[in-house]
Amino acid sequence: MLVNRATANGRPAPALRAEGVTSGYGGVPVVRDVSIAVGPGEIVAIIGPNGAGKSTLLKTLVGILRVNSGRVFVGSEDVTNHAPEDLARRGVGYVPQVNDIFEPLSVQENLEMGGYLLPESKLPERVEEVTRVFPALAPMLKRRADKLSGGERKMLAIARVLMLDPAVLILDEPTANLSPKLADSLLRDHVQRLAGLNKAVLLVEQRARAALQVASWTTVLVSGTTRLEGRPGELLDRQDFEELFLGAGTTSPAPTLPSPNGGAEDPEVEKG
Amino acid sequence: MSLLIAAFGFGLVSMSVIALAAVGFTMQFGITNMINLAYYLNKAGISIWIAMLGGAAFGAVFSFLINRFVYAPFQRKGTALLGMVIVSLAISLMISNAMLPIVGYFSVSYRERFSHLLHVGALALTVNQIAIIVLAMGVMLAVHGLLRYTRLGKAMRATAANPTLARNCGIPTQRVIDVVWLITGGLCGLAGVVAALDSDSFMIASGAGFLITALAAAVLGGAGQPYGAMIGAVVIGLVTELSAAVWAPDYKQVVAFGILVLVMVLRPQGLLAKRGALAAAG
Repeated sequence: MLVNRATANGRPAPALRAEGVTSGYGGVPVVRDVSIAVGPGEIVAIIGPNGAGKSTLLKTLVGILRVNSGRVFVGSEDVTNHAPEDLARRGVGYVPQVNDIFEPLSVQENLEMGGYLLPESKLPERVEEVTRVFPALAPMLKRRADKLSGGERKMLAIARVLMLDPAVLILDEPTANLSPKLADSLLRDHVQRLAGLNKAVLLVEQRARAALQVASWTTVLVSGTTRLEGRPGELLDRQDFEELFLGAGTTSPAPTLPSPNGGAEDPEVEKG
Repeated sequence: MSLLIAAFGFGLVSMSVIALAAVGFTMQFGITNMINLAYYLNKAGISIWIAMLGGAAFGAVFSFLINRFVYAPFQRKGTALLGMVIVSLAISLMISNAMLPIVGYFSVSYRERFSHLLHVGALALTVNQIAIIVLAMGVMLAVHGLLRYTRLGKAMRATAANPTLARNCGIPTQRVIDVVWLITGGLCGLAGVVAALDSDSFMIASGAGFLITALAAAVLGGAGQPYGAMIGAVVIGLVTELSAAVWAPDYKQVVAFGILVLVMVLRPQGLLAKRGALAAAG
C-alpha cells in the first residue's frame, strides 16, 4: 500500500493521498491510475510536460472533477468525490493556476472569503495573522484585488487559503507569469516556509528545476500517468530526466523507465 | 420650465419603480413576472402597503421554487444561456396564462390609487408616488448594505465572481444562490405591486411592457451589475418622462430605447459592467 511504501521511504504518514485515481473531462480520462501522497512538512512537486494532466489531477483531488476510479483520502477519511466545500472544511486548501482570487473584491474581502468557515468574530484576528505571514499585503487591504501585480496576486491567493489554516496546501503553478526572481522568492521564501510550518504542500510546477530545489519528493507525470517518482536529487541525476520532462516518450511507453507506480522501488531511483 | 420640473418628478417615480425590478433582474439574470399578485390582498381590504409585503414574500418564495424545480435542473444539464432565456420566457407565459382564468383579462386598480397631491414649486407628486421613491431608495440602500457590508453579501459577490473558487473556500454556493433567488424574487414582487400602484390601472398583460423596460435598465447598466441597474433605471426613468414633456408622450419609449441602443453600440457591456458583474458591487 502507498502508506506503507511512503513510511518505508522515511516519508511522513500522508495527510492527503490518492490511490489509483483516474479522472478527466466528460468521461474522457486525462489522468489514469495515478497514486500520490503528501505528508506534513513535505513539499511534493508534480512536474511534467504540458498536457500531462497535472492540473487535472489537482482539480480531482480538491473535488472539482469527479474521480472515475480510485480513492482519495484526507488522513484516514475516504473523501472520494466529496464536494470542494467539504474538502475545505477538512483542511484542504487549493490555489488554482488561474482565477485564483476574487478579482472584483478587495484584498481584505478576499481574505474574509478565504476564512468563510471561521466564526465571523475571529476574522479580523485571522486576517492580521495571515498578513503577518505576507506583510506586503498589509498596506493594501482596501485595494481591489484586480489591481494587484502578479506577485502580489499570488501572495493573496496563498494568503486566502491560509485563512483556514489548512493541513494540506495544493498549489497549481504558483510561479506562472512571475519573473524568475519573483518565482524563486515565492518558492523559497513562502512555499518552503509553509512546509516548515508542518503543512503538507502539493505543488504543480512548470519550472521543474526550481521545483526540485524546494521539493522533498517528486512525481513526474507524462500523458496522464506517473512515469517517475522519487527524491528530487535522484531524479536530477537521471540521464533521461531532461528528455522525459520535455515530453519525449509521450507517444510510446519508455521501456527503460520505471513502471508508473514502481518509482520508489526502482533501484535507479532509490540509489540517488 | 415648470413642465420640465413636473416631468422630472414623474421621472423620479418611474426610475424608482424600474430600479426595484431592474436590480432584481440583474442580480439573478432571470425573469419572473410577479405583477398583480398582491392585488388580491388589497381587494380583500388590506392596506396596499401591507399587501406589498405579501407580494414581495410571494415573489420571493415563488422565485425560489421556480429556480429549484425548473431552472436549476436545466442548468445542471448544462443548458446554454439562450436555452435558459427560452425556458424563462416559457415559464413567464405559463404563469400569465395560468392566472387568466383566475383574474380575467380586464383592467383593475388599487383602492389607494388616489392619494393627496403635494406641491414643491412646480413639482407635483402624490403621497403614493413620494412613498414609492422613498421605498425604492430604501431598498437600493439595503441592497448596497447587503452586498458591501454583510458576510452573505460578500459571499454573493464571491460566488458571482468565481463560483468554483468560492466552493473551494467552503462557501455553500448553492445556499447562497437560493438566498439570491429569494431576495431578487422579493424585489420583483415588490416592483410588480409598485408598478401597478403607479399606474391608473393594470391587467395581466401589463407585466410584459414593464418587463422590457426593467430589462432594458438592467442591460443599460451592465448585466449583473446592481449599481449599473440603478443608473440604468435613472436614465430610462428620467429620459422617458422628460422626452414626453419636451417632445411627445407617444415617443418617450422610443427615446429611452434609442439611448439604450446607442449605449450598446458604444459600450456593449453596459455602463458599469466589466468582468465580475455583481461581484464588483461595493
